[in-house]
Amino acid sequence: MIAFDASQKRPEFIKVRIRRQDGPGEKPYWELHQITYEPELNVISVLQRIASQATNSDGKKVAPVTWDCGCLEEVCGSCTMQINGRVRQSCSALVDRLLEDNEDELVLEPMSKFPVIRDLMVDRQRLFRALERVKAWVPVDSYYNLGPGERQLRDTQEQNYPLSQCMSCGCCVDACPQYKKIELKKEAGETDEAFEARKEAAYDESFVGPHAISQAMLFNNHPTGKALAGERLEALTGPGGIQACGNAQNCVAVCPKEIPLTTSIGRAGRAATMYKIKKFFDK
Amino acid sequence: MAVLQRVPTSTAKTVTDNTPETSFFLRNEFLIRRVHSLLGIVPLGLYMVVHLTTNASFLTGTETFQRAVYLIHSPGELLPVIEWALIFAPLVFHAAIGIWISKTGRDNSQQYKFTSNRRYMLQRVTGVVALVFLFFHILHLHGWFHAEFWIDGVRALGFANFRPYNAGSTLAMAMNGYIWPTFYLIGVLSCVYHLANGLWTAGITWGLWISPAGQGRASKICVAFGAILAVISLTAWWAAVAPGDKDIAEMKKVEDRMHKVALEAGFIADMPEKQWVIESEGESNSSDAKADDSAKSDDDGGEKEAENLELSSPDGSGL
Repeated sequence: MIAFDASQKRPEFIKVRIRRQDGPGEKPYWELHQITYEPELNVISVLQRIASQATNSDGKKVAPVTWDCGCLEEVCGSCTMQINGRVRQSCSALVDRLLEDNEDELVLEPMSKFPVIRDLMVDRQRLFRALERVKAWVPVDSYYNLGPGERQLRDTQEQNYPLSQCMSCGCCVDACPQYKKIELKKEAGETDEAFEARKEAAYDESFVGPHAISQAMLFNNHPTGKALAGERLEALTGPGGIQACGNAQNCVAVCPKEIPLTTSIGRAGRAATMYKIKKFFDK
Repeated sequence: MAVLQRVPTSTAKTVTDNTPETSFFLRNEFLIRRVHSLLGIVPLGLYMVVHLTTNASFLTGTETFQRAVYLIHSPGELLPVIEWALIFAPLVFHAAIGIWISKTGRDNSQQYKFTSNRRYMLQRVTGVVALVFLFFHILHLHGWFHAEFWIDGVRALGFANFRPYNAGSTLAMAMNGYIWPTFYLIGVLSCVYHLANGLWTAGITWGLWISPAGQGRASKICVAFGAILAVISLTAWWAAVAPGDKDIAEMKKVEDRMHKVALEAGFIADMPEKQWVIESEGESNSSDAKADDSAKSDDDGGEKEAENLELSSPDGSGL
């Protein structure tokens, strides 16, 4: 628990400026809300207060602000949004801390790289699609008993553990200047399947993102996972692969789990270099 | 308009039913960007270091610089081929792909003010500055192409001012005034940043330095490299900008003396277009002039030469 200093002067109200959007593809707009100050709020509890009021700062009745959340302990990643201009989880964003940085107001915006569904809720399908692209899993189907797995060296374990903490929240891609927003619109007369196929095709040739590169490195370093190492590197050297990285290194700076994403990118770069040279001369 | 109106109903379905074909660029993106990265170091980066060092040697004297230029121009008729294959073609490729790369990103360094993010943004900005600078730098001094009609044309416009057989004097002459020196200062320093930072990112791209500590060490090395190269480039810049009209006249005398001997020794090819001939001197400096004549005119023509300099700079613009 964060120690609360009762002697410190606290404001009476908290102003919350929210970038709202009524539906996919619609025009976003700003709306100001005001709630009574309470100590030790996080942004989720602020959003709960705002939802229960459903009234903006002018006293006008408005539709409750929509947001997404799950675990409330920074392990699911679903409550990720931009808070005071920086992407992070709203559950672990403590209001007293935020007010220290900017005492005038809280500014809440949806993530900038994913299509907005409504208000602060976004569609992170592309994020998970990227994990499919790099086959971020261990290829074991449990069809029959394979016996005990290969022993992992302590070093390997220590290298892999931080990477396994990724919760696919999307902070890294949201802060990445090379990861550009892709938002497709369903065309008139287009079936759901056709739209889905078109979306996936668009996602598949766009930058995979630091999280997927890191997961590819995690599973390429896994005794069983490395069976797919070649396929992962093939994906990482294909359209939107490792080469799309511009080394701005924002990913590692904003990662809430402090995953060494740029180290993974460096390792992927080295692996890709070796893989391509091998592929060319071993053919 | 009629064609455009028909499109939606007829092709919308075919587009949605088929997976769109991946463009050539995207299919070969990995290879293209690795070639871009490699070319930035070899030959372009390497060439830049040699070029700047050669130019910095100008500070030690007209002879040193002229000797280096003679050496560079010793391939004679073959030089354009070497230039285009090893410098201009890689440069054009690096520039074209560089523009494409910069368009794949969207700068957010105002929102995320991290040092590495600013470096990312600066790498793109200096890349574009370097592109504009190098286009005009090559036009200003070299002229891009060697064809006679082309060179005559650009010289009439005040470009292609550098004459390799009068290296120091024509370079100093072309760097007169304030506009070109300022342009060169910004351009050269942009190139230096772009190379030093590009070296660092290339190391990550190729997988040379991986861990944050390793990248930190590499960053220090690249900063040191950039600082040294910046000093070299400032030396080169100053050596070209500092000489006044009198110095230029002195340089020309030295160069003409060296030219005569180098030509006789067969060290350089006889290419009059690489020479700066002052009209009033007549044929005295041209290759087929008699040695006796030029020796005579050199004795009493020194002062006259200096006067003429102000009126007839090779570019004719006086910039």
